[in-house]
Amino acid sequence: MSDFAIETHQLVKRFGDVTAVDGLSLRVARGEIYAFLGLNGAGKTTTIRMLLGMIKPNAGEAHLLGTRIRTGEIKMWDAVGYLVETPHAYPELTVRENLEAMRRLRPGTDPKSVARAIELMGLSAYADRRAGTLSHGNAQRLGLAKALLHGPELLLLDEPANGLDPAGIVEIRQLLLDLVQNQGVTVFMSSHILGEVSRLAQRVGIIHQGHLIKELDVDELERDHHRKLVIDTRKNDDARAVLSAAGYRVDPGFDGCLELADAAAVEEPDEIAVRLLEAGCPPLKLHIEVEDLEDYFLRLIGTDLEVAQ
Amino acid sequence: MSNLRQAIWVEALKARRSHLPVISAIVFAFLPVVGGLFMIIIRDPELARRVGLISAKAQITVGTADWPGYFQFLSLAVAVGGVFLFGIITSWVFGREYSDRTLKDILALPTPRTAIVCAKLTIIAVWSAALVAILLIVSFLVGRAVSLPPAPGELLLAGMVRVTGSALMTIALVTVVAFVASAGRGYLAPFGIILLVVILAQILSVTGWGEYFPWAVPGLYSQGEAIGFTSYLIVILTSLAGLGAVIAWWELADQGY
Repeated sequence: MSDFAIETHQLVKRFGDVTAVDGLSLRVARGEIYAFLGLNGAGKTTTIRMLLGMIKPNAGEAHLLGTRIRTGEIKMWDAVGYLVETPHAYPELTVRENLEAMRRLRPGTDPKSVARAIELMGLSAYADRRAGTLSHGNAQRLGLAKALLHGPELLLLDEPANGLDPAGIVEIRQLLLDLVQNQGVTVFMSSHILGEVSRLAQRVGIIHQGHLIKELDVDELERDHHRKLVIDTRKNDDARAVLSAAGYRVDPGFDGCLELADAAAVEEPDEIAVRLLEAGCPPLKLHIEVEDLEDYFLRLIGTDLEVAQ
Repeated sequence: MSNLRQAIWVEALKARRSHLPVISAIVFAFLPVVGGLFMIIIRDPELARRVGLISAKAQITVGTADWPGYFQFLSLAVAVGGVFLFGIITSWVFGREYSDRTLKDILALPTPRTAIVCAKLTIIAVWSAALVAILLIVSFLVGRAVSLPPAPGELLLAGMVRVTGSALMTIALVTVVAFVASAGRGYLAPFGIILLVVILAQILSVTGWGEYFPWAVPGLYSQGEAIGFTSYLIVILTSLAGLGAVIAWWELADQGY
């Protein structure tokens, strides 16, 4: 049995002149949550569609749960649940009937799984309502229920938090964490909601214009973030002069504040406070600001573009 | 085939929950009623003169106001109307997966895609056959209601065989529509094709080439024209080509929807 739930090797997908995915190689270990991060059109959904055998790569290969994905190979789908893009359901069928239809197309799935999935996804109140009348959030829940119905070993989720309200996002996050921690499920999820990724994933792959530009675990992600010390005093010009004279690089910040990105400043902010106090510029504000994921992501993409140019 | 029975159950559920079975049954039940109206018009020349154009059309379509004439009308109605109605049903069964964007949910399952295609075609065949059965039942009721002269049992049976044969050939050709609905990803392309083949069938039948055009063959058969083995073979081969094409499309083509 392969140690990896997902393995791709040099996957390439072209649509005419456009290369949607270009030489993508990645490995997702069993029992981990891997987040695939990228802007719209970066190649996330194309990759997921290739992993699900819906579209064929122009080059390269992919394996799910040790089985190579190819035409007519259906063995592994027993163990795979998925949600691709916006979930859709048969509008004239009820929530329960949509799930029952899916259950029957997955032979061997327990008939009681439909009721379980409805309860798990909080759809009990809507079970006998036509799917066409569901809100976007509940349609998303129905899509997730279909993915989870048969107790899969591997979940491929394309933007699973789309359309959910904040409480729903937390609920789904807990659910996925529970599946991974207690049932050993592997989750491969694409997202552009960066905060969500940092709270949920163990590893992150960043894709841009079809290229996997960075792959790192969440600890690395934390370490890789830029930090800076933000200072505000009543006499910022004087404070700047004092700190510059002490050898710190001082940059102008938002709203007239000063920013120090030196490791020495970030690691010893107390030292800075003392210097400013002694110079007669006591700090009104002094805190460490951590680069958020949006900035980090855009910085990475920017670097990637510069390298490409 | 792996899980075909369950796939048929799912397709039957989708069909049952839509309005199309009822609408299609009403449309098909309407054909014998129209035929019955023509019978009345032919039998009553005074009424025929008063309705003008309709009576002229009735004279062309149904020669005599008796059971053979009535079945001849129904057989032609099934041959032409069936291309439309069976085609629309097929367009819905296949095209809806694209229009409703539900296709992606049935592509990566332990049930083979070929089984899903076969389940869809089975439902279309059963649905269409049920429509023909409804048409025949309504035909007998209307025929009695308009007091068509009694006919021997063999004549009635021959009429029913003609209607059924015409319907079977028309149903067999829906595989091509299924392929067009899949490759065209929705309803529009198959609707266009249905219209095209109906027009072509009319033109080719008039110009004498109808026996070589699969969609014209049921119409010629319905009118008792002498068509040979080649015509039947063309219908069968076209149906098989459509079946192969739609299965190949579902199995091999990129499904970006």
